[in-house]
Amino acid sequence: MIRIRHFLLVLVALLVSWTSWAQATFTADAPALTALGQPFRVEFVVDAEPDRDSFKAPTFNDFDVLAGPSVSTGHSVQFINGKQSSSYTQTYTYVLMPRAAGNFSIGVASIAVEGKTLKTEPLLIEVIAERDSGSGNKGSVKTNPESSIGKDDVLLRLKVTANDLYKGESLRASLVLYSRVSVDGVESLTVPPFDGFWSQNLTIDNTSSREEYNGRIYETYKINEWLLSPQESGEIVIPEAVMTIGIQVVVQDNRYDPIFGGQQIYRVKRELKSQPVTINVKEFPKGAPASFNGAVGSFSLSSTMPAVEIDANSADQIELTLSGKGNFKFITAPRVAFPESFEVYDTKCVDNSKLTATGASGSITYTYPFVARSAGVFTIPSVEFTYFDPSTETYTTLSTEAFTIEVKDDGSVMSEVSPSAGYSNYGGTMRQLDHDIRYIYTDKLPRRAVPAFILTPLYWLAVVLIVSLFIVAFVVLRKRIRERNNTVARRMRHADKVAVQRLRMAERYMKAEDRRAFYEEMLRAMWGYIGDKFNIPVSGLTKEKIREELYRRSVDDATVEQFCEIISRSEEAQYAPVTNIEMNDVYVDAVEVISKIESVVKR
Amino acid sequence: MRTTLYKAISVALVAFVAIMASVTAAHGADSKTTARACWDAGIEAYSNKDYAAAVEAFENIVALDYASAEVYYNLANAYFRLGQQRTNGARNYSNGELGQAVLNYERALKLDPTMENARYNLDIAKELTNDTEAVPEGFITRVWRTLAGGLTTNAWATISLVMLFMTVVLALVYLLHSSLALRKVAFSLAVVSLLVFILSTALSLTQLSAVTDDSRAVIVVNDTTPVHASPDSGSKIIRQPSQGVTVVVERVEDDWTEVRFADGEEGWVRTSSVEVI
Repeated sequence: MIRIRHFLLVLVALLVSWTSWAQATFTADAPALTALGQPFRVEFVVDAEPDRDSFKAPTFNDFDVLAGPSVSTGHSVQFINGKQSSSYTQTYTYVLMPRAAGNFSIGVASIAVEGKTLKTEPLLIEVIAERDSGSGNKGSVKTNPESSIGKDDVLLRLKVTANDLYKGESLRASLVLYSRVSVDGVESLTVPPFDGFWSQNLTIDNTSSREEYNGRIYETYKINEWLLSPQESGEIVIPEAVMTIGIQVVVQDNRYDPIFGGQQIYRVKRELKSQPVTINVKEFPKGAPASFNGAVGSFSLSSTMPAVEIDANSADQIELTLSGKGNFKFITAPRVAFPESFEVYDTKCVDNSKLTATGASGSITYTYPFVARSAGVFTIPSVEFTYFDPSTETYTTLSTEAFTIEVKDDGSVMSEVSPSAGYSNYGGTMRQLDHDIRYIYTDKLPRRAVPAFILTPLYWLAVVLIVSLFIVAFVVLRKRIRERNNTVARRMRHADKVAVQRLRMAERYMKAEDRRAFYEEMLRAMWGYIGDKFNIPVSGLTKEKIREELYRRSVDDATVEQFCEIISRSEEAQYAPVTNIEMNDVYVDAVEVISKIESVVKR
Repeated sequence: MRTTLYKAISVALVAFVAIMASVTAAHGADSKTTARACWDAGIEAYSNKDYAAAVEAFENIVALDYASAEVYYNLANAYFRLGQQRTNGARNYSNGELGQAVLNYERALKLDPTMENARYNLDIAKELTNDTEAVPEGFITRVWRTLAGGLTTNAWATISLVMLFMTVVLALVYLLHSSLALRKVAFSLAVVSLLVFILSTALSLTQLSAVTDDSRAVIVVNDTTPVHASPDSGSKIIRQPSQGVTVVVERVEDDWTEVRFADGEEGWVRTSSVEVI
C-alpha cells in the first residue's frame, strides 16, 4: 500500500486524490502445482497495516498445517523524483503438507484494514503423486556430483502450438528448460534451423513456472520463443536444439569436516538436446479463385477511392486497407485493373501489423498512385482479394465496388504529353492502342455449322422436283388448254372458210337478183368472219369493236375503213329501195378486204 | 386454267420451303444448350481478361461442332490476348498462341469471307509474323472470288434453286398463256432467271470449294519452325518461318508435310507443326 504522508502541503489536492484510489490489497499466494509428500508455503499478504487481530485464516481441510501462521512485516520508504513514498506489507505464512493427490482449494482469508474487511480469492492447488525418479539429490549422499543429477532432472523441450496446419498459417515454438535442480546459467545454445519456415523471434518474459511433465513437477524457464510460418507443404522436421547449462550441485562431504560434515558445492556442465519436432504442412484445397495469392487468415477489405471527377494529368490514388489476422508478411498487393490510359506508379505498402503470440494481426494499407492521361469516363473494376480461412477451410473473396471516374479534359490531354520525360512507355501503349484487335462478338449465338447444300442428294432432288414440276405442269396444262380451246381454235382457223361459204351463197343470191337476201348474207359473212376470227360473240360486235380488234392486229387503216364501209353500204342497201349500189361491187370489195385481212392476221 | 396453274405453283412452293427447312433443321438440343453455356462462359472469361478460360470455352464449342465464324473469331481473339498476356505484350508469342490466333481467324474467314472484323484482326496478327506477301490473284479471279464470298454457299444454292423455279414458272407462262404481251415478258424474264440460275450455281460451287478447301494450313508451333529441303531432319534447312505463317499444303507423308509459301518457295515441315485451316 502506498500511503502519502502529509508533508507536502502544495500537493494536498493530489494526495487526496491518490489516497482515494490507493486501496489496500490482500492477496493469497501458493504454488498451483505440488507433489504429494512435499510441504509447500501459503502466504497471505496485506499491503497496509491491518487492524489488530483481524486476520482470519481459512480452514485447511485437505492439508496438514506443519507451521504457521508466522507473521512478518516489511516496511520501506522510497524517494522517486523527489517524492517520498513508503510501502508496508504484512505477511502471514503457513507451511502445509498435502494429505492426498487431487485438486483442492484453499478457502478465503479475511482481514480488516481501517475497519474495512478485505478478502482473498480462493486458491486452487493441484496435488499429484510424483513418479518415483529413483534418483535425485535428496536423501542419499553421493560423492560424485555428476551422478547426483538424474537423467530426467533437467530437460530441454521444443514445444509447438500446432503440428498440423496449412501453409501460411503460423505456429508458436517455444524452447523450454524443465528443471528440478538449480540451474546456474546457460553456457551455450544452438537454436535449431527452421528450414522451410519463416521465423520471427517473440519477446518472452523471464518468469519461471511449475509444470508437470511425465508425472513429475519441474520448474520451467522459457529460453526462446518463435513465431513460425511454414513456406512449403509436406512434412517438415525441426531438428534438435542443443544447450549446455551449468548446474549447482551440493554434495554432503564429511571428508573436510568429519565431525559435523560439510557441504561442498560443485558446478556441473550438462548438454541438453531437445527432441526433433515434425510439423505436417497441408497444401491449400483445390479450387482457389484466381485472385488468391497466398493470404491465410481472416481479413476485411476497405478502400478509399479517388475523387469521382479529376482533371486529366492530375495525380490521385486508390487506397486499399486489409485488416484482420493472418500472414501479412506474405500478402501481395491485390491487382487493380486500371484503364490503359492511366499511368500507374509503384504500389506503396504500409504494414501496420503486429506480431503476437498467435500470429500477426493489424492492418496493411496499399496505395496505388496514378495519373490519368486522357479525358473520358473510365471504370476501375472491382478489386478482388481472396484469402484462405484455415478455421473453416474455405476461400473467401473480398471485393470493392467498381468505381467510375470521370477525367476532365484540362486542355493538355494527349497532344501535350511529350514522348520524352518518362512517357515513352505510355507512348508505346498508345501506339498499340490505335492498332489493336477488335473486340469479340457477344450477341451472335453459336450455331451448328450448316452442311453445304449444293450437290447433296437433297439439292438434286429439289432440281429434279422443279424440272418435273415443269414437265407435269406443261403436259397437264397444255392438254387441258388444248381441249378447252379446240372449238375456238377450229372456229378461228375456219373463219375464212365460213366467210367464203357465205360469200358464195351471197353470190348465188346476186345472180338470182335477190337483193335483200344478198345483203343479208353479205352482212352475216362479214360479222361472222370477225366474230369467229377473234373469238368474239357476234351479238357483242359493233363497228367500233371491229376497228379496235383490227387495229390491234396491225391491219392498216385503209383496209379497216374499207371493211367498215362495206358493212355500212350493205346495211344501207339491205332496206333501201333505190339501188345505186351495185351488188357486184360490194361482193368484189368484200372478197378483197377479207383476203387482205386474212393475209395480215395469220391463223 | 389459271387457278390450276396457281394451285400447282403453290404446292410446289410449299414442298420447296419444306425441303429447305429440313436442311437447316435444328439438331440435338443438349449440345445446343452446352454450346450456349460455353459461349456465355467464354465471353465472361474474355471480358474478365481470363483468356485461358475463354480459349477453353470457345474450343469446347468447336468440339461440340457448333463452330460458327463468330466462334472461331472469338477463339482467335482469346488466343491473341492470351499470347499477349503470357509474354507481357512482347512480340514473341511463346506457346503458339499467335499461330492459333491466325489459324482461327483464317477459319472464321473461311466460313464467312465477308467478316470484316476477322479480316482486320488477321492483318494485325499477321504483322507479328514473318509471313511474306502473297502473289496477288488476277483481276477476274479476284472479282469472282469476292462475288462468291458475298454470300455463303447455301445462300447461293438457295438462290439457284429459286431461280430455277422462276425459270420453270416463266417458261410455263410463256408456253401456255394466250396473251402475246404476257408471253413476251415471260420469255425474256425466263431467259434472265435461267442465266441467274447458272451464275448462282457456279458461285455456290466456287464458294463450296473455298469452304471445303483444306489445302491451306497455318504454322502453329511456338518458335521458328525449320523448313527442310527434303523430308528428313538431317537435310538442309532452307527457311525458318514464325508461327502464324500461312502455307499451302502440297502433300502429306506421315511425319512430314510439303508446304508452299506465299512467295512460291517449297519445303518440308513436321506435320505436327502445321494445322490445316
